Amino acid sequence: MIWEAISLMVLLALLAYATGRLSRYSGIFAVLAGFVPLAMLFDWAPTAGLKHLISLGFEKSTAVNIKIATLHFSITPLSWLFLTMVGGIFPFIALYAISYFKKAPGGFFGSMTLALVGATGVVLASDLLTFFIFWEVMSWSAFLLVVRGRDRSAITSYFSFSALSAYLILFGIMVLRSEAETLSFSSLSSSITSSRLTLLAFISMAAGFGVKGALMPLHIWAPRAYSRSEEPFVAYLAGGLSKLGYYGIFLLFYSFVGVSVITRFGTFRGVPYLGYSLAIFGALSAFIGTVLAFMEDDLRKLLAYSSIGQLGYIAIGIGIGTPLALSGALFQAVNHTFFKAVLFLAAGSVYYRTGRWKISELGGVAYRMPFTFLAALFSIFALAAIPITSGFAAKWLLYVSTVDKRFVFLTPIMLIAGVGAFLYSFRILYGVFLGEPRYPDIKEAPALQLIPMWILVMPLVIFLIFPGKLMDVFGEIFAYYGLEGVSHTDFAITTSLSSYNTLAVIFALMGGLMVAFIIYVSRPHRVVSHYDNYLSGEIPEVHEGLSLHAATRYYKPVEDLFQPYFAHGAERFYHHIEVGLEGVGDGLRRLFKTTVSNMIYLVLAGLLLIGWWLTW
Amino acid sequence: MVVHPTLLIVLPLVGAFSVSLIRRYGGGAIKLYGSAYLFLNLIISAVLFMEVRSGGEVTERIAGYSPPVGIFLAVGAVNAVLVLLINLFAAFNYLTFNPKDKEPFHRFTVLYLLGVASSSGIVLTGDLFNMFVFFEIAAVSSYALVASSKDERSVGSAIKYMILGSVGSTFMLISIALIYSELRTLNLYDIAHRIGEMGGAVRTAAFTFLIVGIGVEAEIFPFNGWVPGVYGRSDGNISSFLVLGPSKAAIYAILRVLITLFYGSSSRAVMMDIAMVLGLITLVVGEVAALSEKDPKRMLAFSSIGQMGLILIAISLGSAAGIVAAVFLMVSHASVKSALFLSSDVYRQGGMRYTLTGALSVGAVLGLVGMPPFAGFWGKWYLLSGAADEGLWIVIAAVIFTTAVEAYYLARFLSRGLSMKKRGGVKPTRVITMTVMVGVSLLVGLFASVIYEMVSAGVTTLLSGGI
Amino acid sequence: MVDFSSILALLVEGVLLAALGVLTGILFMGIARKVVARVHNRVGPPVYQSYIDIIKLLTKKTNISHGWIFDLALLFSISGILLTLLFLPIGGIKLLSIHGDLFLVLYLLAIPALGFALGAGASGNPNAGIGVMRALVMMFSYELPFIIAVLAVMIYYDTTSIATIVASQSHMRWAILVPPLLIGALVADMALQGMLMEKPFDIPIAPHEIASGPMVEFGGKYLGTLMLYKATSIVVETTLFVDLFLGGAVVLDPATYGAVAYAVNLVVWFLLILAVFIISVLINTVFPRFRIEQALKFYWSYDTALAILALMWIYFLYI
Repeated sequence: MIWEAISLMVLLALLAYATGRLSRYSGIFAVLAGFVPLAMLFDWAPTAGLKHLISLGFEKSTAVNIKIATLHFSITPLSWLFLTMVGGIFPFIALYAISYFKKAPGGFFGSMTLALVGATGVVLASDLLTFFIFWEVMSWSAFLLVVRGRDRSAITSYFSFSALSAYLILFGIMVLRSEAETLSFSSLSSSITSSRLTLLAFISMAAGFGVKGALMPLHIWAPRAYSRSEEPFVAYLAGGLSKLGYYGIFLLFYSFVGVSVITRFGTFRGVPYLGYSLAIFGALSAFIGTVLAFMEDDLRKLLAYSSIGQLGYIAIGIGIGTPLALSGALFQAVNHTFFKAVLFLAAGSVYYRTGRWKISELGGVAYRMPFTFLAALFSIFALAAIPITSGFAAKWLLYVSTVDKRFVFLTPIMLIAGVGAFLYSFRILYGVFLGEPRYPDIKEAPALQLIPMWILVMPLVIFLIFPGKLMDVFGEIFAYYGLEGVSHTDFAITTSLSSYNTLAVIFALMGGLMVAFIIYVSRPHRVVSHYDNYLSGEIPEVHEGLSLHAATRYYKPVEDLFQPYFAHGAERFYHHIEVGLEGVGDGLRRLFKTTVSNMIYLVLAGLLLIGWWLTW
Repeated sequence: MVVHPTLLIVLPLVGAFSVSLIRRYGGGAIKLYGSAYLFLNLIISAVLFMEVRSGGEVTERIAGYSPPVGIFLAVGAVNAVLVLLINLFAAFNYLTFNPKDKEPFHRFTVLYLLGVASSSGIVLTGDLFNMFVFFEIAAVSSYALVASSKDERSVGSAIKYMILGSVGSTFMLISIALIYSELRTLNLYDIAHRIGEMGGAVRTAAFTFLIVGIGVEAEIFPFNGWVPGVYGRSDGNISSFLVLGPSKAAIYAILRVLITLFYGSSSRAVMMDIAMVLGLITLVVGEVAALSEKDPKRMLAFSSIGQMGLILIAISLGSAAGIVAAVFLMVSHASVKSALFLSSDVYRQGGMRYTLTGALSVGAVLGLVGMPPFAGFWGKWYLLSGAADEGLWIVIAAVIFTTAVEAYYLARFLSRGLSMKKRGGVKPTRVITMTVMVGVSLLVGLFASVIYEMVSAGVTTLLSGGI
Repeated sequence: MVDFSSILALLVEGVLLAALGVLTGILFMGIARKVVARVHNRVGPPVYQSYIDIIKLLTKKTNISHGWIFDLALLFSISGILLTLLFLPIGGIKLLSIHGDLFLVLYLLAIPALGFALGAGASGNPNAGIGVMRALVMMFSYELPFIIAVLAVMIYYDTTSIATIVASQSHMRWAILVPPLLIGALVADMALQGMLMEKPFDIPIAPHEIASGPMVEFGGKYLGTLMLYKATSIVVETTLFVDLFLGGAVVLDPATYGAVAYAVNLVVWFLLILAVFIISVLINTVFPRFRIEQALKFYWSYDTALAILALMWIYFLYI
């Protein structure tokens, strides 16, 4: 069944390719393909502690013999969870995309569907070869979509980084394969030894997955690719595909190499050094990503850096690796999937109506697009971890887990990054949606864009009220990997340090809102134009140099202070590598530009060397 | 035996010698005539492939003399794949030539057919001297084909190529002479089992001269000074022919030398080591040089060098995985690199924006870097797992490093081509040929088991000094 | 399972304490005006002036709004700050603080601020935008030392729950008596100056530069609500400081002294937050205003260095 389902998705992808140039409604094939993983999710729900809804007969594990190799698939609680992330958002994004394109988008939907095939295969794979094949399918189909952006730096950096990532992972696979003499996830970790080679394999695989998870300093492809591709794809890349990097890292810790081997490389307060260093990289991503985000004027780049920052939290959680931290990481992954997808889609809708990406050129969009604004506002609340969305539970788990382990470096970095998130959140809210009404004539986004956005917002509300439901799923995952769970009820999570009860927050907020509402309705008010303000109705001729929208270089004072420290650090590093290699290359190329006689000398030198070696 | 492998060599030769008979009917007729031979060859090689696939190896004696005295053709699993590959791509590649550009076209066709025949000959023959002869024919036709390019400087490159090629041929001949003087036989398999009888010093000399001689044709560093100039100045479709024909035949010849010819030699382990080091150097030099090269054709040339190094590494592993990897890498390189060379002319004319050529180039780049499900993936997978089995981590590290470099410059190549505003004019024949090439790479990757099963069945005989 | 009487008790307690908090806050605003006036050698308005102001504003007949997002400021600011108040132990009365912790309070504090910022942004006035920017940068500035200082407290008591921190300081074992935490308290007090937006950190409102910044377009019931928010936030922020460093104003143990203890503790709580607030007001009266980047530099250099000192001291010598 799994193989047939995957084949069906490939078929739908081909259909989408075939009809891509005819009409934008070819996207319907992508939407259909998106329902295949959804069906799997519902079918497998009992595995993950949810109610049994329907039965379609997907087997829990299967092996497909393609003669040159056997591909193994199986479903574990972890892959179920990640399938909800990469598969759950897909049909809605595809639906959105149908409305987003004004003309037939050619290969867009076909490549999107292939990316979904790759992602589904990755999370269902239960041996390294299958994992790698689908990983690559996912990687290059995303590349095909990046290519559609026609931006040179995006294409170059995405492709070289994903090839680098692929081969780093392949190196790791080769080491594990030769040590364990098996490719199967279930039997790998039992036969891995803690040799220096294993360490190298671990680091190289972690780096390979880190590329996909946009972990600093391997992130530089992300802002470029995110800011130069079509929005529905970016929503999927940031919301769905970026999670696969962390899926890989999680598996690396708990399935490929195994905690027992990793701990043998040394521990720091019970946390393996390897995990702790991953957490440090995650913290740096979280902080630097956030700072770069609020200094950015391009809406898409801002969201890209914000993604880097938010994904960093996942790395911290997986790195620390206590059940508390892991719950936080997984919770953050789930949240990020939905809020980042919604944010990119909302940004796409704003672009769809205004044709602008620069925050300083936007403004006042919310007055005309209130539903888009509300969806974006809610996702921003989740992103900034305001406790009226599910975003807070994830951050809270992570904070508590670091205090629990007394990691005095990680906690402040994470918290200050959390504050930084308020800064860029408000830059979006004010710069794009509020302020001067610069776009008085635009319409609300089409229903086909709003409906998917609002569907994707729903989980953020549901898991605000019932964080325990998600914690149940994490509990299954922990049980599967032999870890302890985190004590919780449907509404409350309790740790040794403190507890968090969502019901208390919700009811107290209701009470407060009641008071506020009484004040609000006690006296009538009159709504006036935005220009009817301190200008006393005299609207200046604003368009020549004077603006009522203070959104250009919004955080200039901070930028001036921080810019010297943050100016293209990683990019300059890679540039130096490139220049150095090109220098070597130039030297080598000179060998091919000499005269024929010199070339013959070279041949003779080679001849003599070979002969000398043979006789020696 | 349904078909005679000899036909693969004889038919193009007949075509080559008879083509001038119809020259007065014009370029179109000549092209039709040439294509007829090439596609006939394609059918024969396909039948041969099927035959080897079902019944193991096929051998044919020439003129009735039995080996080791007579010349004979031996088709095993590896060269059946290769000969099909060469004939398939050569036939489609021929379609891309415009008779008006290659006046007089009948002479051009002669050269092309000779090139195809001799490349098939190198791959099929079981006789060392015969191999040398085919090498000479292939080399001569290559020189002339290169010189027929639009870019006038290609003549200079062809002369460079010729001089280096002659040095290589001389070395080959010396080596053959040494072997014959000691063993009194030229049959590959005969030599393979009797190589131990040779004196150590003579054997060393024979191996050295042979590997260097073939190395010139097989683009192995440091014997490959001619490569960037030739590929950089030839027309794209001539470069693609060189990639899919003579160079593949040459690297196959190296496989024959390393795996078969010196099978019984006591110093074979050192020879394999030397080959691996040569391969590593070639790989790194080619890829790093390609990184700094800005001209697209020369960049592809350096990339070609790197790929040949990769194939040489696979061969020098000397294991079943290595041979399988080498076959997949040859398929991959012959298909997608030729496709990229075909696109390089369009690229120079002004971009591949929103064209089928652009889309095919993206596919070719994916194939070249070794993304599944392209053929290159299986090549790299078996290469790396073969190397890992023997603990050759330095090889793996080199492959990973060069792949990253390769991805970077190929992506730069692509992005530059795709972001240009102008649209290049594309001839439909080129698009068809590129589609076939990229399609083959994709299909071989998707149905890798077809080649995998065949090669891994035949590899045991190959590794024990057989066909 | 659901104990209605305890929920009812909690409800009554919550309403009463919220009212107490709000009224205290308004009183503090009056006291501040009086103190400043006296330092300036003026007579100043009476201490109950702020009550009059707020009642006047809330009962005005003409109220100008700029649309529904503008109204969010009213709704979110007052409800958010009341919500935060309920999650803090006040004079040993725990309220909802057992259902949340310090991190929750830090993030709950963001709800009214963000709501207020939304309304300010929706007014379409550029001064409001600039004001919010300054407020956010201020927050980014003072949070770093504050978090580090608070982390020192958290790892010293090995908890993140404020209720537990308060309980650990019972019997007058106040955190401020531990030398490194004294430094922490100093750091937090400096951060408090920024939280309360008193000089030299009143940059976000800066009346002479950006016409009161975020508040520029607010009037009538909107401004009245904002004053309520401001008043309550004074109480919330000073109470947070008292809870963390001054034993939560618990001097008598309710378990032994019963209702008397609650009354005494509440009085002590009032005096302590008044003291903390007066210190802040006094600093306010003698300082000019920083520029925003100076504030950032100040907090991220001197204050953070002190905070790190406190944290390291705790980290290496006390646990």
